[in-house]
Amino acid sequence: MDPIYRIIAVALVTCLATIILKPVRSDFAIMVSVVGGIIILFMLVRYVSGIFDVFMQIFSTTNLSSSLYKLVFKIIAVGYLIEFSASICSDTGNASLGDKVLLGGKIIILVMALPIITNILNIVTELLPK
Amino acid sequence: MSVDIIFKIAAIGIITAVIGQVLKNSGKDDISTLATLAGVVIVLIMVINLIAELFDTIKTVFTF
Repeated sequence: MDPIYRIIAVALVTCLATIILKPVRSDFAIMVSVVGGIIILFMLVRYVSGIFDVFMQIFSTTNLSSSLYKLVFKIIAVGYLIEFSASICSDTGNASLGDKVLLGGKIIILVMALPIITNILNIVTELLPK
Repeated sequence: MSVDIIFKIAAIGIITAVIGQVLKNSGKDDISTLATLAGVVIVLIMVINLIAELFDTIKTVFTF
């Protein structure tokens, strides 16, 4: 239960620093909030890699091609980055830019997911009785 | 990765603001703009290093 306290502590400290800095220097306030987000992401990366090890063991038992679950990891990474940058954009005030980044992320994820979809279709057509 | 980076950036921000004000009041306007610019550049470099480090860790973790 320790990591959740650290994350909350970092978030609160960042909010306070942003509030203190906003009247004095508004550009530094935004940078402090970006750095706070980065620190929290760093803490979370450790757990994400733990999850992936478990996934790898599960996937290795199935005889699916290993490229599939590598693709899933890539898609999760894209989602991770897109959410990070979109929230920074909306933080600095230009929400429309953040939405465009989100749209771009969705399109990229769809493009990356196409091989998985075709793979599933092939499996399904094989199952159907000829 | 710890909290002191946030304090460092906040401290730099406040110091540059104070220095800017002091220089402006003492009549040296051009130097005060340079001082605030230097503060902004230092913080930008720190933030960019952090972002680069974040992207590297993401690349290693997600086995790109």
